[in-house]
Amino acid sequence: MMKTILNLGLKLFLVCLVAAIGLGFTYMLVEKSIAEQDLKRRAEAAEVVLAPIGAQPQEDPELTASMQGDYPDLIGVFEGLDAEGNTIGYAFVLKSKGYNFITMAVGVDMNGQVTGIDVVTNEETPGLGAPAAENPEFLGQFNGKGPAPLTLDEDIDGVTSATYTSRGITNGVNMALEMWKYVQENP
Amino acid sequence: MEKERTLWGEFSKGFITTNPLLVLMVGLCSALAISTKVENCIFMGLAVIFVLTCSNVIISLIRNFIPDQIRIPIYIVVIASFVTIVDLTLKTMPAVYDRLGVWIPLIVVNCIILARAEGYAYNAKVSHACMDGLGIGLGYTAILLIMSTFRELLGTGKIVMFNTTIISLGTKDMPVIFILFPGAFITFALLSALLQWYQDRKKPRVKEG
Repeated sequence: MMKTILNLGLKLFLVCLVAAIGLGFTYMLVEKSIAEQDLKRRAEAAEVVLAPIGAQPQEDPELTASMQGDYPDLIGVFEGLDAEGNTIGYAFVLKSKGYNFITMAVGVDMNGQVTGIDVVTNEETPGLGAPAAENPEFLGQFNGKGPAPLTLDEDIDGVTSATYTSRGITNGVNMALEMWKYVQENP
Repeated sequence: MEKERTLWGEFSKGFITTNPLLVLMVGLCSALAISTKVENCIFMGLAVIFVLTCSNVIISLIRNFIPDQIRIPIYIVVIASFVTIVDLTLKTMPAVYDRLGVWIPLIVVNCIILARAEGYAYNAKVSHACMDGLGIGLGYTAILLIMSTFRELLGTGKIVMFNTTIISLGTKDMPVIFILFPGAFITFALLSALLQWYQDRKKPRVKEG
């Protein structure tokens, strides 16, 4: 009896050991590439939303880390620098909940007004929410609005058949405006 | 008396006679969910072919080493390892990964793979298990591609792959239902009926009464 248990345990252990070694090895190979890809996409989105005010994004990992306690949906903060290196805006990359998660970048200038929105990824329903999250007419409405929080169907016209997605994007922008206020108050 | 197994036979049966989706009807949830875009299906198909073939081969290789009582946990470890490898590799291609999202890790519990491990690879030669994996995997991919072509074209009016429009019907007024879940069921039912009809035609008819 004891012998069978040991035998089974040993064999299971061996299989798991081989699997673990193989996985550890794969992870070592791709780890760096995954981190690079993540950063690249965030930076690209930040560049898109800061382009209207001609700012170059620069990620601020310290600021990001200090804000993530208060704003758990924040993924990264970028400072928008002009040619002389002055901060003329911020880009916030964050997650917002529509019907599913939407990862988006929101650019905010020093007056607290939205400079642009870029949806990085959305897991919205294909055919309903997903096209809305990429609808330039809908997203364009946010430009120049703020710093007061925006209300859907008052400041912003939602997209028919995509109520949750419209709500998710509006909430995401409001989150970014709140984060902008936080950055202003805690320099 | 069972027919002798040939490599080609083991490979080709996955397309029609034991097609995992249309005949065995396993692994349906991911197939119905993912078939909204042709591009997604290509990557999902490749992932399933890889995991299925590798796990079939490994399980067939170690089938004499595995004690009967713990074969299921061992299948799971083997399958989960390959799925994690695919998952990590796809993460380096974020554009694809975001859209396949949760369905890649869920290949672990895709019934096709566990069913082939338990029902086939555990009792088969390595070469046969390998061909079975490739065949079933390709059968799965083929159906995914047919379904997604149908659904994407009818639901959105065009097929977009890698940011280029390949086919366009030139209109946006298409029945969105095809890209939503009811459309998945309708498409699947039609395909399944078609295959059934095709197979019935080949059988000799039995006169009734």
